[in-house]
Amino acid sequence: MTALSPTTTAPAAGQAPARPVLSLRDVRITDRATGREIVHGVSLDVTPGRTVGIVGESGSGKTLTCRAALGLLPAHVEISHGTVEIDGTDIATLTPRRWTALRGTVLSAVFQDPASYLNPSIRVGEQIAEVLRVKKGLGRRAARDRARALLDAVRLRDPDLVRVQYPHELSGGMLQRVLIAAAVAADPRVLIADEATTALDVTVQAEILDLLDELRERTGLGLVLVSHDLALVAQRCDEVLVMRQGEVVEQGPTRTVLHRPRHAYTRLLIDEHEQYGLERFRTPQEDA
Amino acid sequence: MSTPAPARPILDITGLTVRYGPRRRSRRALHDVTLRVAPGEAVGVIGETGSGKSTLARTVLGLVEASAGTILVDGEDVTRHGRRQWRALRRRGTVQYVFQDPLRSLDPDLTVADSLTEPLLVRGVPRADAVERARALLTRVRLDGALLDRLPGEISGGQRQRVAVARALITEPRLLLLDEPVSALDSANRVQVLEILKELRDAGTALLFISHDLGSVAGVADRIAVLHRGEQVETGTAAEIIGAPRHPYTRLLLGSAPTLRGPAPSSRAERDALRALLPV
Amino acid sequence: MVRVVLSLTTGRIAAGILGLIALLALLGPWLAPQNPLTTSDDTLAAVSGAHWLGTDHLGRDVLSRLLDGSRVSVLGSLEVALTAMAVGVLPGILSVQLGRVFEWITLRLADTLVALPFLLFAVAVIALLGNGITQAMLVTGVLVSPLFYRVARAATLAVARSPYVEAAVVAGASTGWIVRRHVWAKVLPPIAVALAQTIGVGFVIVSSLTFLGIGVQPPAPTWGGLLASDLGYLDQRPWAPLAPALLITLTVWASNLLADAIRDASGEAGRALAGRRRARARRTAEADPVPSGGTR
Repeated sequence: MTALSPTTTAPAAGQAPARPVLSLRDVRITDRATGREIVHGVSLDVTPGRTVGIVGESGSGKTLTCRAALGLLPAHVEISHGTVEIDGTDIATLTPRRWTALRGTVLSAVFQDPASYLNPSIRVGEQIAEVLRVKKGLGRRAARDRARALLDAVRLRDPDLVRVQYPHELSGGMLQRVLIAAAVAADPRVLIADEATTALDVTVQAEILDLLDELRERTGLGLVLVSHDLALVAQRCDEVLVMRQGEVVEQGPTRTVLHRPRHAYTRLLIDEHEQYGLERFRTPQEDA
Repeated sequence: MSTPAPARPILDITGLTVRYGPRRRSRRALHDVTLRVAPGEAVGVIGETGSGKSTLARTVLGLVEASAGTILVDGEDVTRHGRRQWRALRRRGTVQYVFQDPLRSLDPDLTVADSLTEPLLVRGVPRADAVERARALLTRVRLDGALLDRLPGEISGGQRQRVAVARALITEPRLLLLDEPVSALDSANRVQVLEILKELRDAGTALLFISHDLGSVAGVADRIAVLHRGEQVETGTAAEIIGAPRHPYTRLLLGSAPTLRGPAPSSRAERDALRALLPV
Repeated sequence: MVRVVLSLTTGRIAAGILGLIALLALLGPWLAPQNPLTTSDDTLAAVSGAHWLGTDHLGRDVLSRLLDGSRVSVLGSLEVALTAMAVGVLPGILSVQLGRVFEWITLRLADTLVALPFLLFAVAVIALLGNGITQAMLVTGVLVSPLFYRVARAATLAVARSPYVEAAVVAGASTGWIVRRHVWAKVLPPIAVALAQTIGVGFVIVSSLTFLGIGVQPPAPTWGGLLASDLGYLDQRPWAPLAPALLITLTVWASNLLADAIRDASGEAGRALAGRRRARARRTAEADPVPSGGTR
């Protein structure tokens, strides 16, 4: 277990209310081509060492919200209202250069299909080293050693072997680890994981989420966990947003959302687990 | 709640082993699997990538050849069946299959009516009768009869999966094999498909429910078998498997499955300990 | 599918041009204002009322020769394309369905045919069998057939591995049923594309052969032959090769355009196009107070 980052020592999950690294205020997103508003107001704060979850089905606007925070909205889709602040800076004021500098170093992300984010013809170690050379200005040797340390830090069984392998030689779970290594290479303070474990087996999903939890505890990383599975988000997050058709229908501390859901949609999600999920065998039936 | 029924099992698998590839360097996909499904029983088969769960289904359907062991379908030994015998058995429609991917399991150029009626038309049922049956089945899976004229591309993913279920039901099978039938669906559709499956089971159709996720099987299955790298590591009633798992892999599966509330299924440390127990 | 192709502008243009050329080929000899073989003293005449496109070095009417020659070009290219299709498609589909041995043999055969330079081969065959466009085009067709073999095989492979074919197998369908019901519809559009392309290629081949004087005896007019003889007196009539050259280019271009239109009309995009038409039809049918008895 090499320490992931010697530079950013986390303030841990201290009691002092840390300043949010990522902060969305009533963000609305509009498709300029059709003039339709796709996301109708999302507010959330991500502070170091905390995990915020967004639950929603495809088309709920959860992915667009993440992309807005990352400044990666598709062409002709724009933030039409509200503000996104990264580390106290309103992103509306950012130049493309500043954006490029911010991405990876302050804010980073991993997505559902890891294979498509890696170049199939370059060894994975070199791809991570490239991130380090560009983002941290490391030399060739230093970048290579650091890449190996990162592969070790994401608990790949044999980092020396994986380093010289090509993406197609690795399983989905291993690829996602490689991508996480690349995403945290430049010591970001917030990591957005958008359906990052959806395509993986249940046990591998747990491994990846365990890894993210560990990174969070060790480096004070703030996490945004986006998933269609309420249970997954509920288990790992301090705060939950439930989105549906661009609307935040429920938002609050995980415990409150689960035990006192106000919206019918949230209740539907909970009912599904209780009637058809493992809960059937776990919790006493009187729980309503 | 389900002691093995005394009736003759609709599916009886004994010591099934499947190997792939040339004899010398063959890879083992399944090893010594023994499983019985009684009429009207729902059995879940749980396994992750490389567990051999899809191979199991494909062997039962005659798409893959067994290397050893026997498979009895409604008492008939199908292990050594040739092409002709398989076709005759299939046309009887005793066993049907619902594929994993609802998008690709329907021919994009055929209307819903054409896809639905195929199992009947193959048997020589007149088209008009077949379409009538198809219409009735659509109602049963809570779909509108107007969908009959649509192409798969014109209906939603949830509707497509229900059409796939309806197609499998059109021959009134006594055993339905389902490969990840709800994995690609959203909550509302998942609940609907699971309800339909429950109704079927209550009406006496046996289900063999294959999934990588214990959670999606728990609501329907009476008994559960767990596969790990081609080995059948544990089999028991759903309550036994989920309430008191014995094998470390089953425990890891359960500890990894996200649940809403109640005591945390297991901690990170416990999961790490379980992983260490499993072969690399 | 034909309807969808014709709903595209490119499809309409291509079909229009090719239809016109086909009509010329069919009626050319009757449309020709003069006998294409009669010579006159009025050699290399300019464009006039009597000779719309002038006359050649032997005083023959160029328009008449072009119209008369269109038959050889059109029939020749059709012969190439249809022969290639007839020889290539069935083995292509069966190479997927019939098992390893057949697959291996046909694949090697296709490789061999591709390796042969077809123009030279056609010349050689004519030397062996005597001068005749029919033999030459038949041979060329066989040599071009690997294209169809590969297209049919690729399309069949994609279908054979799809879950819906497995679903049909599990339902007890026979190989014949699967080919008729599932494979056919997926294999036809790429074959139609290949056919349109090959017709274009066929024109080039016929024109090249006749340009070289192969396949057709000299006095008989062909587009390629006209082009060749026109080149002989380029210094006196620099614009003369324009008419046959333009005709050849236009035909080949239209064939390729048609191929593109078919490609656009088939597959995912084509289904979307057809789907929109169907949806519109449904809406109008629903709006129609008198239900017009469904087709199914």
